[in-house]
Amino acid sequence: MDQALKDSIVKKPGAWGVFAPVKGKIYFGIFLGALSSAFVIVTMVSFAWVIDILLHDRADIWLWVGLAFTFTILGLATKLAAFTISHLGAFKLEEVLRTGLSDHLAKVPLGFLVQKGSGSISKVIQDDVKTLHAFVADSTPFYGRSIAMPLITLILLIVIDWRMALAALGVLFISMIPMSYAMRDHKELSRRYTQEKENINNTVIEFVQAMPVIRTFDDGSSSFGRYQEALKGYRGLFIEWLEKAGVSTKFAMILLSPLATLLALFVIGALFYANGAIAFSTWLAILLIGAGLVESIMPLMWLNEFIRNANASAKRIQALLQEPILPITENPQEPKDASIEFENVTFSYGDRGQNALEDVSFIVPSGSVSALVGPSGAGKSTVAKLIPRFWDIDKGTIKIGGVDVRDMSSETLMNNVSFVFQDTFLFHDTLANNIKLGLDNTTQADIEEAAKAAQAHEFILQLPDGYETVAGDRGARLSGGQRQRITIARAILQKRPIVVLDEATAFADPENEAALIKALSNLMKDRTVIVIAHRLATIKDADEIVVFDHGKISEKGKHQQLVENKGVYAKLWSNYEQAQGWSLSNHIEEQSQQKAGV
Amino acid sequence: MEKNKNNYVHKIPSLMESYRRLQRLSGDEAPAFRASVKAATISAVFQGLAFAAIFPLMGVLLADNLNMNDVWFWVGIFFALSFGDWIFRWKAISFGHSESLPNVVHKLRIKLGAQLRKIPLQMLYKKRSGDTATIVAGNVDEVLTPLGSITELFVRSMVVPIVVILATFFISWPLAIARILIFPSAIPLYVWIRKAKGKFLRTLANAHASTSAEIVEYTQGLPVLRAANATGSKAKRLQISIKELMDLQVKTQFSSILPNFLLWSLIEGGIVIVLALGVYLILGEALGVAALAALLIMSVRLSESVAILTNITAAIDLMEAGSEKIENFFAIKPLEQKTPIEKPESFDIEFENLTFSYEEGEKPELQNINILIPQRSMTALVGPSGSGKTTLTRMIMRYADPQNGLISIGGVDVRSIDQDKLMKNISVVFQDVYLFDDTILSNIRMGKPEATDKEVEDAARAANCHEFIKRLPEGYQTRVGDIGGTLSGGERQRISIARAILKDAPIVMLDEPTAALDTESELAVQKAIDTLVQNRTVIVIAHRLSTIVGADQILVLEDGEIKQAGKHQELIAQDGRYKSMWEAQQQVKNWHMIEKEE
Repeated sequence: MDQALKDSIVKKPGAWGVFAPVKGKIYFGIFLGALSSAFVIVTMVSFAWVIDILLHDRADIWLWVGLAFTFTILGLATKLAAFTISHLGAFKLEEVLRTGLSDHLAKVPLGFLVQKGSGSISKVIQDDVKTLHAFVADSTPFYGRSIAMPLITLILLIVIDWRMALAALGVLFISMIPMSYAMRDHKELSRRYTQEKENINNTVIEFVQAMPVIRTFDDGSSSFGRYQEALKGYRGLFIEWLEKAGVSTKFAMILLSPLATLLALFVIGALFYANGAIAFSTWLAILLIGAGLVESIMPLMWLNEFIRNANASAKRIQALLQEPILPITENPQEPKDASIEFENVTFSYGDRGQNALEDVSFIVPSGSVSALVGPSGAGKSTVAKLIPRFWDIDKGTIKIGGVDVRDMSSETLMNNVSFVFQDTFLFHDTLANNIKLGLDNTTQADIEEAAKAAQAHEFILQLPDGYETVAGDRGARLSGGQRQRITIARAILQKRPIVVLDEATAFADPENEAALIKALSNLMKDRTVIVIAHRLATIKDADEIVVFDHGKISEKGKHQQLVENKGVYAKLWSNYEQAQGWSLSNHIEEQSQQKAGV
Repeated sequence: MEKNKNNYVHKIPSLMESYRRLQRLSGDEAPAFRASVKAATISAVFQGLAFAAIFPLMGVLLADNLNMNDVWFWVGIFFALSFGDWIFRWKAISFGHSESLPNVVHKLRIKLGAQLRKIPLQMLYKKRSGDTATIVAGNVDEVLTPLGSITELFVRSMVVPIVVILATFFISWPLAIARILIFPSAIPLYVWIRKAKGKFLRTLANAHASTSAEIVEYTQGLPVLRAANATGSKAKRLQISIKELMDLQVKTQFSSILPNFLLWSLIEGGIVIVLALGVYLILGEALGVAALAALLIMSVRLSESVAILTNITAAIDLMEAGSEKIENFFAIKPLEQKTPIEKPESFDIEFENLTFSYEEGEKPELQNINILIPQRSMTALVGPSGSGKTTLTRMIMRYADPQNGLISIGGVDVRSIDQDKLMKNISVVFQDVYLFDDTILSNIRMGKPEATDKEVEDAARAANCHEFIKRLPEGYQTRVGDIGGTLSGGERQRISIARAILKDAPIVMLDEPTAALDTESELAVQKAIDTLVQNRTVIVIAHRLSTIVGADQILVLEDGEIKQAGKHQELIAQDGRYKSMWEAQQQVKNWHMIEKEE
């Protein structure tokens, strides 16, 4: 999506802003909807005219029947055209928004995606866009109709007979009294209603997700109690709303039914008719169109509801489009070697106040291995994610090969660094394509070689379709360790000088683990490596171990040296050794077991 | 025109079924619902009769000698019939505007909640938790909130035309027949539309599904795509799919223009047919002008109700689909409770010839399982992921019942044990911890609702979490939701262990409770588990074999079968799966990723 289009979409907050790209179609749809209702009204008037001709035995009767028919067809044709145009607008809008959103997402900082979560982002691209689609497609012609219908009716009524127009208007005004009474706290109540509904949603989701825990730990009193509380809150508000608005709504609904208007028009009309103050066909014309005045009120109320939904969706779409993109440098530079340097880096995740990293400085010389260790939340993973610019830092610089990462093009940066993260993501595509992702000119031999080095070749060959097996399909359920080895093969194939490993061995089962570690050591050969691992044994031999604590570097050095320091690392190491040595036992109180007897 | 794809014509056969279903869902309020439908029907009959009274009214108005008394008489009749309509309309819409509706919604959700607690947990795992939550939260709203208004509108738009047509028979049978014929002749047209659209509908549904999947994959995979410099090509794939969807929508839209136009012409153009026929009859002196005038007034109002009908079909579709899902959910059979209910006196767990598969006819998840787990012994389950370890523990908790064989506790078939009692005897510590959005105190107390604060604290101490809970802003009263992310995985796990300690169940199951933790947390959790398992029957699933070397029996599972069983020493002496797993792990211990010793 080009910038001008994006600007036009976000310029005005709400649905009418988002509609900018298809504004023409929408207005045209509304216009046709209005035109169609004009034809409908004209058709009705022509009916009265036909009766008038019949009463006066005039000759042009079939001409007017034909005209009535023509008006009907025109009414239908314009209605159909209105819906067709509005649907075409909706399709186009859907395409423009989805394309624009996916484009924009490719440019925002990755950290934003991680923080926001893919679920809520795809919800915007999917559901919110769909809501707008539905609104444009189905409601805009209706919109034109709902406004034009009462307006044209009223004008015609006044033109035909202003006294009768007053009668019809009278019914409308009387029905407005209970209506406005019913709507008096509408805004506040509907806000609370939405809130209660949200509350039910959350409780239900909790209740469903936690069902295994509920079954084992809860006899029903606590979680079911909370579920019931949420339901009660909703029922209470629902009843309160109905009590406040129920009676007046019912009055309004009765007054808005066509019978009320017809009755008024009969009574007033009969009074005039008795004195000969109104012609029969004039009266008939008014009877035919008069009820249209009140009948368009109810649809207007529905429309309001739709507009509210559309606005909420539109605002979420706009917010996503307004998310600032990652600044790209004008004069990109190339790194000189494969070293990494953090220089007085300070960084905070905007919303959390506290600094995630504070004044962090370390150097990983080209070709060396640095391990980042520390308790969880100490900042290790943040360091790993700052190198590929998931976020930009607040203070200091991060350099690769002597060049600030912000002075590199995004391609250059990514072409220098490979990442293997804890959560492996495979695309719904063949394993071969998953391995060569982003590298289009790769031979099958290269892929297989990388897979071999990643200890993945053998298990891939055992799969039903080998390298052509589609990940995620039935029969290709890969274990965590196997998926991880696919991503390692990808990293090996990328042949980038720097490798960042973040807890790459976390989810491996025992037999997989050996293969995984072999794969990783193949990947690390001759590269600059930053590795994060909580199994300290695996990183014991790193060239340098950088120990993080509360966002700061507390010590640096080689394993032996750090153990002797008796600092944070020494404690981590001893914890690790203890945890490794843990063996479960349920036989601590031998005596009581004997007492209980079996 | 989306709405038209499910035109009301095809609804008619299933109407009674829908009505019955809505009654079932109304539960206790079914009589009120029935009364409201009855009232709506009577009210619609009154409305139809009021319309019919326009015939004589127009008759006296156009009579050769205008007699105002006759006019006022029929206006009076019209008023009386309208009044009848209003009285019953009031009754009909009262259902949706009184406590009845909130009560129906409330009771249905309570019933759904109860059903959630009863259905086999395995059934719950088969659905995504979002789907189940949608049934309880969203579908109930879709089905019930419009219950009052939609049924009223629906009944009205069906009944009024029938009454009017019946009345027309008394005035002019050819006109009545013309009116009737319009509807059946719409049916073949409608079938044609379905066919024409049906061709596209399937491809359209597929296109929607595939775009959906592409969007989800794109947002989930963006970090990987960015890292691989592959955003462009994948984004292209997504955008092609978006574009294709649009093209298909446009094509479908255009293909439906002509049939829709014809259908609408037939339904809404019906008035013109009546007009033409009426004029013809009048010219042949077979009909009076008054009758045609009356018929036109009615027809104009009726076409309004046809328009409403097409509008509410969308809402009715939602109701139908939603109520079907709800009923299907209720149709899930709870696990069988054998009688007489027995109570196990001891806690030996025995599997006899057990075979289980998730779906009938699928490859069994567990096969020929024969195990005895003596009271207060420790049994470890090991094996590759997907080998059936977790399923085996779930069988004891009756997530589902086996197809063959049986499980007994203390010699009693688990199916003869009261489900709540069974759960009272088992504590589980899961790998992923679920804490409720409630205070820490209530989260722990779930294990034993009657526990005093002191008992809860003791349990927390035993689980190694008293210390950090005390440091939280409001101690035990801190709400989990308020501190959300600030609890570490290990802390959350220890809270869940405190819950289990408090519950004090004789059987404890551990499913990889430390797999997702970092070393420091791991150590604390291990200590907590040591307290929990004392003197109990323990079943543990562990990846790290050193944890379970002390187990009384180790069961090695592979492909759903028990391949080896015995103590560590025995198993290690055999040439088998266990030995190779053990060796692999021992090897890993001495392995380092970094292979460049200086």
